[in-house]
Amino acid sequence: MVITGRLVLLALLGVVPVIAYPGTTSILLWALLLAVLAGLDLALAASPRRLGISRTLPESVRLGEDSASTLVLRNDASRRMRATVREAWQPSAGAQDPEQSLDLPAGEARRRSVHLRPVRRGILRVDTITVRSAGPLGLAARQLTVEAPGVLRVLPPFNSRRHLPSKLRRLRELDGRSAVQIRGAGTEFDSLRDYVRGDDVRSIDWRATARRRDTVVRTWRPERDRHVVVVLDTSRTSAARILDEPRLDTGIEAALLLSVLAERGGDKVHFLAFDRRVRARVDSTAKGNLLGSLVSAMAPLEPELIEADFSRVAAQVRAASAHRSLVVLLTALDAGAVEEGLLPALPSLTERHVVVVASVRDPQLEDLRADRSTASATFRAAAAERALLDRAAITAQIRLLGAEVVDAVPAELPPRLADAYIRLKAAGRL
Amino acid sequence: MTTGSRHPAAQVAARTPAAGPRGGGEVMGDGRSALATVRSRLWRARPLLVGAVVLLIIVVLTLLSGTGDDDAPLSPGNAGPEGARAVAEVLAAQGVEIRRPASYEEADALLGEGPATLFLNDPQQYLSATQLTELGTAADRAVLAAPGERQLSALPGGFDLVGPLPFDPGGDAPPPSAQCEDSGAVAAGTITATGTAYSGPVTCFPETIEDLSGGLYVTSADGAVAVLGAPTILANRSITDEGNAALALASLGSSPTLVWFEPTAADVVAVGEGIDPLTLLPGWVDVLLVWLLVCGILAMIWRGRRMGPLATEPLPVLVHAAETAEGRARLYQDSDAVAHAAANLRAATLVRLARHLRLDRSATAPEILDAAARQGGRSRSELAERLLENTPTTNRELVPWAQELLDLEKEITST
Repeated sequence: MVITGRLVLLALLGVVPVIAYPGTTSILLWALLLAVLAGLDLALAASPRRLGISRTLPESVRLGEDSASTLVLRNDASRRMRATVREAWQPSAGAQDPEQSLDLPAGEARRRSVHLRPVRRGILRVDTITVRSAGPLGLAARQLTVEAPGVLRVLPPFNSRRHLPSKLRRLRELDGRSAVQIRGAGTEFDSLRDYVRGDDVRSIDWRATARRRDTVVRTWRPERDRHVVVVLDTSRTSAARILDEPRLDTGIEAALLLSVLAERGGDKVHFLAFDRRVRARVDSTAKGNLLGSLVSAMAPLEPELIEADFSRVAAQVRAASAHRSLVVLLTALDAGAVEEGLLPALPSLTERHVVVVASVRDPQLEDLRADRSTASATFRAAAAERALLDRAAITAQIRLLGAEVVDAVPAELPPRLADAYIRLKAAGRL
Repeated sequence: MTTGSRHPAAQVAARTPAAGPRGGGEVMGDGRSALATVRSRLWRARPLLVGAVVLLIIVVLTLLSGTGDDDAPLSPGNAGPEGARAVAEVLAAQGVEIRRPASYEEADALLGEGPATLFLNDPQQYLSATQLTELGTAADRAVLAAPGERQLSALPGGFDLVGPLPFDPGGDAPPPSAQCEDSGAVAAGTITATGTAYSGPVTCFPETIEDLSGGLYVTSADGAVAVLGAPTILANRSITDEGNAALALASLGSSPTLVWFEPTAADVVAVGEGIDPLTLLPGWVDVLLVWLLVCGILAMIWRGRRMGPLATEPLPVLVHAAETAEGRARLYQDSDAVAHAAANLRAATLVRLARHLRLDRSATAPEILDAAARQGGRSRSELAERLLENTPTTNRELVPWAQELLDLEKEITST
């Protein structure tokens, strides 16, 4: 049972008889009055056990968008129900109005919406619904908590999709380019067209020219149906927060942009979230919309507090795609972790595949480096310089092993990675 | 329905979720009756209930067992070393009736009933001079145990307080002898030298304190009022020493009744016209306060009841990325690694200069200096001195050196 503010007010009204007739009797009588009224109210309150609750939740919602959990509440009791209903969403679900008041005649049903504005990506849960049914006097209420679990999948926001149109245009420009710019192995024959001044004479198709009166050159288009394997590192290094975003979320943004771009570019995309085992896996060859299945697979990803095991990445990549592929490793270039984990495993990848290592750079290190106002700040600058030097050394080592490195601040990483993909595709290295 | 089971936890575990995660199915109630809910609440609250019961038992036992053992010093019922039960027992065996009044009024009434000796033991000096004088005159014979100077002021007979005896740790001062006419004192001969000296008509057991002479046992000329400056001679611990017992029995046992009065704080009379402010409040204030307390408890219950259990938030682990650099900086600073820090700063500057001057990554420091001297306005020797040869050794030198390094780098890379 629950007492309400009205009962407390009524108790305070008891001050009048207590002052008018001082003594124990007036106190006891007033207390008795309160008890009787509260008891009566409780007895007349509709039972919260007779409230039928059904909830409708959207399948998923993108982070930053509003959503609502709709409750249909049906009064199965024989009395009118005056109730407050609370849906116990976890705080990051951002429930705007979790407590809903309800005045429900017997046998009727009402619809109530709890508006949600999630503040975090992931699987958000609601476990219980609490019903507090007050009596007709509103002095006391019966309260019941009902187990009614529900989940809302909050998808990554994919803010980097604003880069998509410009990158797609650049990708389209690759199509039908003449051999003037692109030559060498790996390009595919596209079509024939008339020679214009400036074309490479070596690309003249003499056979076709012989058939026609004009000089004809071959044009090329970038290869299609190549394999892109995006490996997202979810180990402990992905828990680092850079500016106001964890490294994992920046990696998700970059992976989404690259995957969508590669799919539109006609390539096959495989996505792996990996630390010591596969946390999520999506293949573009499977049925359904790639972006949809990607964001649902990425939604529940969280940094795991374990060290990544890069020695198993090669096997996972082979399992995802048996062909020569572009392997993009979204990881961190932290000196210790990379030297122990990634560097020894990299040669086995680079001998079969084209490897790009993408990592978020911390712009705060640049700020620390430049601040030399006090002794403490200078020591911090020295430490930041050391971190940057270590990072540069690691980058150089990775490049020596034949992999590309994309190292950018959080906002820049998705477009820079897309650029790297377009550049490799243009160069026919896929 | 699972009413009747003794383990609600097992019931909760056995319950299946009523609705699927995506909703659809209707949930109604928690599958239990109100009675079962009450029972499970009580079951869950049983540690608290047991604690409350134990607390209640402790409180009740303390209240009941608080019989108030008589352990006051010089109390006739106290058998401890500080008590005076020995004297009281001997006096009772000799036929003296010992009465212990609880208040001043009762003592006054007892003294009025018939011939009686008053023994007044008031170490806290609760009684006023008037009260003391009234009791002293009402009694046939009054023995005052170490009264205060204020209390003596109204007593006729010219008693006065001289001062406490100096502390005698070794106990080697000779015990004072009677040296007076009082028969009890003469019978005692000597008593333990302790307590406070008084002056009066008949001074026994004289002691001199700072040129003032006084005695430990002083009586009025007719012997009706006696001031015992050394009441500790009555204590069980010291009653058998010297002639203490003789003096005690002689002074207290002269009447068939002995009124042994130990005043309490309740006997204090208010002096002056002060009025207790509480008496100005109307009578209903106390009742009102009680009712407001009840209202306050109700308000606490009202505000303290939550709408259901708290929702938990599983928080992901997040670490500030620059934390490792900050930690390393603190290590440098704590260990005064100035040379190490300077080496880092210099190496970073050289690497950036090399990149700006389009030198190979493997370029050595002199090569970088050569290129920088060709590029900028400074001579090679000056650059070498400022970049390579100057090395700070203290924190104080490190800061300007590091700033100069940064300025030099900006100067070269901006040209």
